[in-house]
Amino acid sequence: MLLEVRNLTKSFGGFVAVANVDLDIREGEVRGIIGPNGSGKSTLFNLISGVYKPDAGARVTFDGTDITGHESHAIARRGIARTFQMLRIFQGMSVIENMLVGHHAMIRYGTAAAVIGARKVWHEERRVRAEMLEMLAFIGLADYADMPAGELSGGQRRLLALGRAMAAKPKLLMLDEPGAGLSPTNVDVLMEAVRALQQRFGLTVIIIEHILKLVMETCGTVSVLEHGEKIAEGTPAQIKDDHRVIEAYLGKEMRDDQVRAYLRSA
Amino acid sequence: MTADSAPLPIAAGVRARLAQVHPIVPWLLVLLALLPLPLVLPNAYTQYVVNVMAINVILAVGLNIVKGFAGQVTVGHIALMAIGAYASAVLSTKLGLPFWAAMPAAMLVAAAAGAMVGIPSLRLEGAYLALATLGLAESVRIFISGTEWLGAAIGFEGIPPPYLGPWALDSHYAYYYVAMPLALLGLYFSFSILRSDIGRAFKSIREDALAAAASGVNVPKYKVIAFVISALYAGCAGSLQAHMAPGFLHPNNYTITEMITLLLMVVFGGIGHIWGGVIGAILVTIIDDLTRDYYEYRMMMFGAVIVLVVIFMPRGLGGIIDDFLVRRRFNVLRGARQTPRTDVHAA
Repeated sequence: MLLEVRNLTKSFGGFVAVANVDLDIREGEVRGIIGPNGSGKSTLFNLISGVYKPDAGARVTFDGTDITGHESHAIARRGIARTFQMLRIFQGMSVIENMLVGHHAMIRYGTAAAVIGARKVWHEERRVRAEMLEMLAFIGLADYADMPAGELSGGQRRLLALGRAMAAKPKLLMLDEPGAGLSPTNVDVLMEAVRALQQRFGLTVIIIEHILKLVMETCGTVSVLEHGEKIAEGTPAQIKDDHRVIEAYLGKEMRDDQVRAYLRSA
Repeated sequence: MTADSAPLPIAAGVRARLAQVHPIVPWLLVLLALLPLPLVLPNAYTQYVVNVMAINVILAVGLNIVKGFAGQVTVGHIALMAIGAYASAVLSTKLGLPFWAAMPAAMLVAAAAGAMVGIPSLRLEGAYLALATLGLAESVRIFISGTEWLGAAIGFEGIPPPYLGPWALDSHYAYYYVAMPLALLGLYFSFSILRSDIGRAFKSIREDALAAAASGVNVPKYKVIAFVISALYAGCAGSLQAHMAPGFLHPNNYTITEMITLLLMVVFGGIGHIWGGVIGAILVTIIDDLTRDYYEYRMMMFGAVIVLVVIFMPRGLGGIIDDFLVRRRFNVLRGARQTPRTDVHAA
């Protein structure tokens, strides 16, 4: 197992956001995580990536190392990259600088060398810049390399957020609602990019998504959260027929008409 | 901010050719060009003002690193300069160290103090950090004012000038050749930092600390590094101030008025914009000199200018330079490519 989550719990005051979740992610799989609003999906990501510290008793093992409660940057350095629902790209920095920050953990020179502008810094910068330009070309943003990221269109920002996470050359990529706000055609473009990246770099991917179509078509296994608990897990076909899942979606006030549309068509 | 990646606002062709040589070469050329400046200055007083400019450039460029790049709102920077100045003064008068040893030592003392100023930044943000650093700065000044062996409120006098072999660099003309190269060196370092991974780490913290951490940036570590580097600049500026003729320091040189003046340099020049900060430091030094007779009103004046700048040109002079040089280029690019790969729904 690449990622093993055991007994993961997080409560804010009296509110339990994530309750006793176990999760096993195999190397190379594409896992979908679905659930109604407020079911704890994003909290789960924040716990795995170190934004929040889990409550006592939890255990998160990544690639054979216990990373429970580690700092965010330390977890990133172990090979877990993530995107955010609100993207959080560095708007005041150029597109390529965003990529280079994503690549931060792989850049090897010290502060002192950087300050004096040592020759090795110069060479290393050229090398990583070329490498990042190549990745930008892969997501179709190479022409915008020197543009301030804040000037990109919404769809381009979404691609850049994905690119920045990929720039870290992670073993595990966690995507938090990558399709939010995209038109159906652009969701296809995005999923094509994720699939291509996954195959090319042998990535393991976890996707949180509201757009069920996207999850069902892309993921081998889907886990369903409700009220912070994992209520179901299986192939998309199994999930579609699981009465608890249907209840979880239909029993709640419907928010996402794509969910409604999907369930009607299924 | 993207204009920061070019050392000088020059044509792309020239820049491409310059990229073939080591980045320090343009700086050596600028150094050569600035060497004969004292010959054209009318008197020693003008030379003195130019030297103060150089010191202020070092100070402003240093402040820009922590404030402009790393985005940490500190208003205690002037105290780091005071610490550097008094450390240098004490080391050279009481321990008899020459300027060339006292200055690096004073920079290290300031750096240690800078690390301590940086610690609150790990927990505080924005206005709260500003208050904490302001408190630290004022306590440094009050400590100096009340400490007998630092000259207390009378001032610290008799700080020796730098010596170059047998020659004392005690004239303002001679001192220029200490201050100006150091200012250029500071600028060069600042550009090196900004263009490196370290500079990008600083900026990512300013932009979004949470996303920076998710990219593997050790946020607390880089915050402290930013404070320490900018304190090194402040220590250098302080030491230069101490050893400049007549070799006299007074705690009143480090009040909140001086801090506001320093802030004005950076804000007017453009926060996070190196060249803007330099231009800001030079202009404000001139304005500062012209309005010496109105010291009491300076706070009001500078405060008003800061407010106006923040309202009407929030990115300062640097922002205007950026708009002119950079944005135009991208508008051309965007006009040429009206077919972005993806688009969002009108939300």
